[in-house]
Amino acid sequence: MSGSVKSEQLRLGFLETLEIEGRGYVGGLLITNNFGRPLEFQCTTPVKPNRPQEILYGGSLLPWLLGELIGGTLLERVSIKPDLVVTSDPDILELRNHTQIPVVCALAEQEPDGIPVTPGSTMRFGGQRLRFHDAHPVDADRLAGQRHLIPDQADLTEPLERVREALAETVRTVFAR
Amino acid sequence: MTSQPVRQHILSHAAADQAATQPVAEAVSGQPGDSPTVVPLRVDLAQTGFNPALLRLPAIESAAVTLSLVVDLVPGWKPRKNPLKCIGLTLPEGMNFAPARPAATPAAAEACGLLRKPDAGVDHAAAGACDCGDRDSSGTVAAVPKKKTRIRPPADALSLQDRLFYLLQPPLESWLAGQELIMPFEPFAYQYEGIAWLFARHSALLADEMGLGKTMQTITGIRLLLRSGQIRRVLLICPKPLIPNWQREFRTWAEELPVVTIEGTGARRKMLWTLPGACILIANYEAMTRDLNEIPPEEQPKFDLLVLDEAQRIKNRDSRTAETARAVNRRRSWALTGTPIENRPEELAALFEFMEVIPARSSPDLRQLSRLAREHILRRTKDLVMKDMPPRIDRDAELELTDAQQAAYTTAEKEGIVQLNDLGESISVQHVFELVLRLKQITNYDPLTGESAKLERLVADMEEVAASGGKAILFSQWTKTLDWLNVRLQQFNPLIYHGGVPTPKREPILAKFKNDPDAHLILMSYGTGAVGLNLQFAGYVFLYDRWWNPAIEDQAINRAHRIGVKNPVIVTRFISKNTIEERIDRVLREKRELFAAVLGDGDNSNVSLSLNASEIFGLFDLKARHKDGSRSIGPAHPEAA
Repeated sequence: MSGSVKSEQLRLGFLETLEIEGRGYVGGLLITNNFGRPLEFQCTTPVKPNRPQEILYGGSLLPWLLGELIGGTLLERVSIKPDLVVTSDPDILELRNHTQIPVVCALAEQEPDGIPVTPGSTMRFGGQRLRFHDAHPVDADRLAGQRHLIPDQADLTEPLERVREALAETVRTVFAR
Repeated sequence: MTSQPVRQHILSHAAADQAATQPVAEAVSGQPGDSPTVVPLRVDLAQTGFNPALLRLPAIESAAVTLSLVVDLVPGWKPRKNPLKCIGLTLPEGMNFAPARPAATPAAAEACGLLRKPDAGVDHAAAGACDCGDRDSSGTVAAVPKKKTRIRPPADALSLQDRLFYLLQPPLESWLAGQELIMPFEPFAYQYEGIAWLFARHSALLADEMGLGKTMQTITGIRLLLRSGQIRRVLLICPKPLIPNWQREFRTWAEELPVVTIEGTGARRKMLWTLPGACILIANYEAMTRDLNEIPPEEQPKFDLLVLDEAQRIKNRDSRTAETARAVNRRRSWALTGTPIENRPEELAALFEFMEVIPARSSPDLRQLSRLAREHILRRTKDLVMKDMPPRIDRDAELELTDAQQAAYTTAEKEGIVQLNDLGESISVQHVFELVLRLKQITNYDPLTGESAKLERLVADMEEVAASGGKAILFSQWTKTLDWLNVRLQQFNPLIYHGGVPTPKREPILAKFKNDPDAHLILMSYGTGAVGLNLQFAGYVFLYDRWWNPAIEDQAINRAHRIGVKNPVIVTRFISKNTIEERIDRVLREKRELFAAVLGDGDNSNVSLSLNASEIFGLFDLKARHKDGSRSIGPAHPEAA
């Protein structure tokens, strides 16, 4: 046995949001090492768009709210900055326009309607196919150099379940009053 | 630029009738003093009778209004970033150890779970076929199960940060599947649950039935707590004969963890107790009691976790061992035992006091014990979790004594009873107990002639066992009997394992029994061989004489009938007919049935049914003549054997 082991490290961020009926959205960001062991977690208080925001943002409301506002806040708050942010919500990809950190959406092998995902904007990483922001194709090249740090069959969607559970627990114990 | 004041005049001078039909004149002048301009406005008036009032001129006032030349946009809005409050949690870094050895081949890696797909795997029925638990390294390995075992926060974790810490931990299957921690074998589903349960508890009593893998679950729980930074220093206390077993299991299940055994001279032991950087210390109960009581209070070592194996050793609250264990400076307290209650429910209270879930000296009633048990005890039986395990086949061999034995027995019994009666009021349970022991020894063999009905039967059975290449374990209460048997069973290459065998020689004996195809029999004492050993490759168990407590016998039998056993285990109990053995067996059987009828759950293996003094007197139709009629007699624990 030895003490601490110096090795190439990859920090992963897992970002999810949860809608609370009547109170808006909360978001959570879990930072783990490349094996999924948790290092830091931050979550927001509920935020609800007002009526003018709903009208004026229109279709861009959720990308702004979930990606820029919630995602951006969480990314600022964490002390351990991730090398990659993984989410399951395509709206959160908007976060990439406000940070230098690659943001990816973990996809099922096929879209719900059975149409295979566009091959040009995705790549396989760990056990998942990841979708990148269309405006940042360079992210795929950056991640390709770190592929070896993630086991080929790693389940990158599992930590997102933990974030959702943690958010639900937080809402239940803190915000439900 | 200034705006011009505007003066307005409105005149109305229509008659009532005219007003109803004519337009009302409205005059607006542009400048003061200008002649009013009449604007024709038509007003319909109802015939109310008050219309003449309209002939009066209305009072007109004027006011200046400033005209704005700038257009205001109301409401104003621009996007702005609302400040969001956050709740944060930083998890401990944990301890990093040298990377475990990579699997030698892809097949081996897959077998160890290194190459697990997100949803790959088989169901637990198939996984249950693999060899795990307290096992040796010969087990087969099944694919990784699909189920995910998550760590749940305990009921006493009240703060959000505490609860989030547990919720954010990865599923045990992926944590242990080789991504970070290599497991030599895939645990069973119930073992994953046990590990997750232990991980989340500061006070825990793991009371799984013998053979279900308490050792492995404990080691893995310790491993995960160290990894996640929850603990840094662990003290594990176990009976002395089990230290090599724990050392071996740590090497198997957590080879990266440094283990230090407290042994050697007094000075060396004192140095080891306070050795900085020692991650896991293993000591036996006697060393703990002796050494820690000699260390001044200000120098007492501190531990994050204290584990007591075979924790029934502290069932007596007032014993020095129990007091020393409770005084150890620690943050977490785990107890391991397959028999949390050996005689009375109060014994459970002693364990709860060690676990610091009840106040010192308190005596919880059964309802309170039951409530505490639900939160702090995890107990699974083989019937519940190992439905596919090969069965244990019990058979009683009721034997007639040989003529020489019968003569010796009859003489000893008559003389003994006469002597007891002669003692009169001074008779004690100890006197009766001595007679019982003498008679039991004669049922094993006649000391004068060496005749033994049990030996004859044993030789016959062993010839079959040896012919089929099988292996058998024989248990006896007396090391003298084991030595006597050893001489007479040389054709089966017997091995001896009892308290008289030096500790360093014990492991090689077990290894030889396992690996030598010609070693068909191992002779063990209940005290040394009944607990903590993994001998599931033995298909036969002989109980040459009976222990006082069926729970201890079960512990002995479960050395062979445990996880990993491939074939049914045949257990043979030797009982000499018309002797004290038959009477003891009848009393114990009746007590077991009575207990089962009261509890009704079939799980009575954790209850000791030791004979008390009244029952010992009853064996010879004597009456307990003293106030200690309900006191149990006989060895408190088989270590005495």
